[in-house]
Amino acid sequence: MKTRNLLILLQLGMAVSQSGVYGQDLGAFLEDQVGETTDYTFATFKTTRILNGHSVELDHEGQMDVRISHRFGTINSGAYEFFGLDQAHIHLSFEYGLKDWMMVGMGRGTFEKTVDGFTKIKLLRQSKGIRNMPVSVSWMSGMYVNGLHWSDPERENRFIYRFSFAHQLMIARKFNERFSLQLTPSYLHQNLVETPGDPNDLFSMGAGSRIKLSKRVSFNAEYYYILNRDHQNFTTGIYNPLSLGIDIETGGHVFQIIMTNSVGMAENAFLGHTTGRWLDGDIHIGFNISRVFQLKK
Amino acid sequence: MKKIPLFFILWVGASGCIWDNEETLFPGPDVCDTLDVSYAMDVVPIMANNCYTCHSNANAPEFAFGITLEDYTDVKASSSAIIGAIRHSDGFPAMPRGADPLDTCSISRIEAWVSAGSPDN
Repeated sequence: MKTRNLLILLQLGMAVSQSGVYGQDLGAFLEDQVGETTDYTFATFKTTRILNGHSVELDHEGQMDVRISHRFGTINSGAYEFFGLDQAHIHLSFEYGLKDWMMVGMGRGTFEKTVDGFTKIKLLRQSKGIRNMPVSVSWMSGMYVNGLHWSDPERENRFIYRFSFAHQLMIARKFNERFSLQLTPSYLHQNLVETPGDPNDLFSMGAGSRIKLSKRVSFNAEYYYILNRDHQNFTTGIYNPLSLGIDIETGGHVFQIIMTNSVGMAENAFLGHTTGRWLDGDIHIGFNISRVFQLKK
Repeated sequence: MKKIPLFFILWVGASGCIWDNEETLFPGPDVCDTLDVSYAMDVVPIMANNCYTCHSNANAPEFAFGITLEDYTDVKASSSAIIGAIRHSDGFPAMPRGADPLDTCSISRIEAWVSAGSPDN
């Protein structure tokens, strides 16, 4: 590749030195020399999460991403609770890129003391040139195991009751250097719910975006509209999760500061158990820290 | 051959899904339903089981000073006295006489029926 670039530069130098090519378009000249290529889009989002939910991005092969996330209590809990900072929920996860197109992860969260694991694969990459693809597409499947003690240990509690599953298709486009948008059709299945009126299956449509504010800072927003949400059917009313945040990239770290109405950070929590309302002030301040280590060259 | 792990994962994923809810699997103690209490369906059976020994049309003259509780109009007319009696309130004879008090849910249902205006429903 280096030799090829050198040859091109040499030819370019020779061409420029000839008075006849001064007026020739440089781009057209280079294209003549190199031929058309495929340009893949990079950094549609800065990390594997938009805020709570997955982004279309994956860890590269050999990369381990250590993620620590916090969500505090609600702002409207008042000064006594230090506006929520006295109550912290965490999610800790280790994620690894098996291939450039496949990653896995495992985590543990405070919400329902859940242990979770997921696999994410990249199906399509946004590109232009020889191969023209308007969007990047990834798929995520996750499994979540409730770790709480049973409310009644005497009854016949089967281990399978603890499981939930989520599947998401991420479809994203980076429109330009400043703006990316993602649509995320999602499905959450919970093996055990409280009453016959609570649906075991929840379908939702997510939308997330990134607006780049500077070289290292961007504004992110994420919203999931739960399609079969009906307050009458839930023991506890659930609401659509809305999150706003700032990404700060500091070389190897991505730091996200978040405001959200969901205290849970895994899909089973924010898709199935968001009980806060923005309009009532049920807003949780939180942050995600992502630290990437290159384990394999 | 490479497809076998994929099928295995799909099989495990599919067989891991069940559709259950706690209320159906583990029904708790009966909840006392005091909504839309019916005279015929709810009040009369409670009366028949606990009161007619003395307060039926046939027995009342001999055992209950002629106070009958078998007909709707009689029950409605005595409703406040019935509430006082079954709740063992001061100033009312504790009923059923010589037996355990009515269970809480039966009392609540009769109270709900009286509160609703003692409808003939």
